[in-house]
Amino acid sequence: MAKFRKKIKNVFLMGSGSTLLLLVFLSDVAFRRGGEIGVGWITLLRNLFVLVAFLEFYVVIESLWQSGQNITKKLGFALVLTIVVGAASSLLFIVQPSGFDIKNYSLIPLGFDSIVWANIYGVVLSMTMLVMLLILRDIIFSRRRKGTSRNFIILIGFVAATALSTLANKSMESSLLASVLFGCSVLAIVLNSFRLSWIVYLSKREKIISIVYGFLIFCLSIGFDIITSKGTDTGKSLLFYSQPLQSFASTMALFSTIYFGMTFISTLFHLPTAEAFERKTSEVSSLHNLSRLVTQVFDFNELVDSVTTMTLEVCEAKSSWLEIIKTAAPAGLLGKGHRGLEVVTSAPKNISQEEIHAIMNFRGEALRDLVISERKPVVIDSVKNDKRTKHLADVKVNFSSMAVVPLLSHDQVIGILYATKGVEFGFDRDDVDVISAFADQATIAIENSRLIEKSLERERLMREMMLAQDMQRKLLPQELPRLWEVDLEALSTPAFEVGGDYYDFTMLDENHLGILVGDVSGKGVSAAFYMAEMKGIFQSLSKIYREPREFLSKAHDTLVGTIDKRSFISLIYGVVDLRCGLMTVARAGHCPMLFVSRKTKKAEFIKPVGLGLGMGSRSFFERTIMQENVQFAEGDIAVFYTDGVTEARSEENGEFGYEKLMEVVRSAVDKSALGVREAIVTAVDRHMDHKPPEDDLTIVVMKWIKRNNNHGKNISEKKDEQLQN
Amino acid sequence: MSNFKIDMREMNNINVIDLKGYLDAHTAPELEKAFQDLLEGKKFRIVVNCRDLTYISSAGLGVFMAYIEDVRKNNGDIKLSNMSPKVYNVFDLLGFPLLYDIAKDEAEAINKFNTLQY
Repeated sequence: MAKFRKKIKNVFLMGSGSTLLLLVFLSDVAFRRGGEIGVGWITLLRNLFVLVAFLEFYVVIESLWQSGQNITKKLGFALVLTIVVGAASSLLFIVQPSGFDIKNYSLIPLGFDSIVWANIYGVVLSMTMLVMLLILRDIIFSRRRKGTSRNFIILIGFVAATALSTLANKSMESSLLASVLFGCSVLAIVLNSFRLSWIVYLSKREKIISIVYGFLIFCLSIGFDIITSKGTDTGKSLLFYSQPLQSFASTMALFSTIYFGMTFISTLFHLPTAEAFERKTSEVSSLHNLSRLVTQVFDFNELVDSVTTMTLEVCEAKSSWLEIIKTAAPAGLLGKGHRGLEVVTSAPKNISQEEIHAIMNFRGEALRDLVISERKPVVIDSVKNDKRTKHLADVKVNFSSMAVVPLLSHDQVIGILYATKGVEFGFDRDDVDVISAFADQATIAIENSRLIEKSLERERLMREMMLAQDMQRKLLPQELPRLWEVDLEALSTPAFEVGGDYYDFTMLDENHLGILVGDVSGKGVSAAFYMAEMKGIFQSLSKIYREPREFLSKAHDTLVGTIDKRSFISLIYGVVDLRCGLMTVARAGHCPMLFVSRKTKKAEFIKPVGLGLGMGSRSFFERTIMQENVQFAEGDIAVFYTDGVTEARSEENGEFGYEKLMEVVRSAVDKSALGVREAIVTAVDRHMDHKPPEDDLTIVVMKWIKRNNNHGKNISEKKDEQLQN
Repeated sequence: MSNFKIDMREMNNINVIDLKGYLDAHTAPELEKAFQDLLEGKKFRIVVNCRDLTYISSAGLGVFMAYIEDVRKNNGDIKLSNMSPKVYNVFDLLGFPLLYDIAKDEAEAINKFNTLQY
């Protein structure tokens, strides 16, 4: 609908414009045969008719105009236009109409044909200049900067003002105002003619086209300057037709002369730099492509491949390849040679692996060492004469200059990019710069792929860690021994994924329960390994060596050969006789057992002497370890724990400590084993201000619930007390 | 952790290591290096002054165990002195007093070196 309305509008405008021009023609035929009409207002009206008609044509052309075209096409269009109009003018010259006589600033047609030709010529030339204006506008506006459109509008303003100032003039009459305005127009033309920045962005081919076109249009425009000037017959025809139009047409002709003249000259000057500019553009776009590849493509080979390919294309290199250094040289080795490096050649272009091998093996490593130690690009201008590559004369090489650029990541050389050219002095500073830029991209690609590799590795380790954690959980007793004589409770929480705390129970026989709590020094995986070993030792040896002291000595014997010098296992081991409630406790460097009597509420740490497992020689360990006997009465409590409990610390409260543990258990002595355990956990948690524990934490609580005859006294006998079997 | 510091002194052919702060798995390598340096320099008469040592973890204890054998093989010893009761308790739990000479103060430790020749 809108399209249709536009069409209607255009047809109307064309129709009315043509009608106006027809009226003008008819009036000319009717009134001007004998010369100028003396009355100014009729001239004014006639000129207004012409102007309105052209304005209407302008609106139509503008609505059909396509701005978004290629500049060279625009230039071609301008050329065609000038040729057509030039032909029209030539035609007028050939036809040789009768011409005009000048009388009192008026032009008097010497024949009817003069009037006809003036009309035709006026319309055609003015239309042409209108289109030329639009072409020039598009060309100037194709690269806009501040002031571009302002300057152009000023120009149009002056051109229009010049034309309008002659509206009421007789054909040959001129005024001072019109001359001044024309001068201003010329200034504005010159100002606008410096808007030529579009030339820079043309390709070399386009520049050549624009030189040719610019020159031709420039020459033809000079022709226009002549034929639109007042002195010529064609100029007189125009003047006779309408002085404002003549003013417009001649100004436009001047504009096109100056602008295309400038185009011609500046394109000519830009031609030598066209190649450099084109290369810069291709550098920028290839770098852009490469960086996009780096972020999108994770295929390492594809990336290094495009790096060497682009090096080849952009620098016009003969061959290019990349070396990736797997193990970067430590700083101390610099200068001593890097024979230990693991170097992989990737993405060779126009050169075979054999050739590279031949080059690099024959003292070519010196070149590599140089780049690694310098950490700067090295350019060999003449392979033949440069002392760094003189040796290559013996190897058959088909290149004459080389650029060797390091791939730097965190000041470490992780690879080297090589490029060669067939000519000597082939690499200028720009080449080295662009190869360095490619090397940077390759660095990112390599770093990326290494990071991905690392993160995959990390993920694998995480899974292993989870597995280890799961395994370790299974090493702890899955359920507590169910006995009616004692109430047992246990808890172990590792602070890290895998911890070093360990507890276990074993029934030595139907009457003897063994309780073991331990802590492997250090944390994490190594601690977990020792813990697993400890589990094996406990389950196998505890039934053979029934006495705690004896068992710990044997466990030490077994461990001392395998455990690291810096590591040890602290253990506390109690064996309780379920018939009478007598517990024998031996300690290998572990936290003492807490004993609390229900009856007397007395609390006591049972701390027989003993080294940690893995410390000291076999005989020394055996000689020094002691054990103690403790008699349990109904309701008495034993607490085994690790230093995660006593050493639980917070900024404000300091360490949890032994006193506090004692207090907590004493006040919970009437509770069940679970109650006691929870009392300790709650107290530690409160002490830590509910922060997660920093160390593994293990608690085993035993409450003696059997009523026995032997109640009351607890026997604490040091030294070699034999366990009654 | 930066709240751990090692100072080394040498007097009368005896090297004194002053420990300050928190000796745990993070800071143990520093002490380890101190021992290594002494052993490389054939210094085997070592006193570790624990006056300003506020905490020691099992990893810290492990460092002493790692070097005692080598030191004693070379007719030297690592003697410990000036422990706070809390730090002493940690050493004591593990049975260190059985294996190591723990002196009340530095002078006593040095004295032991001078009277008892290895």
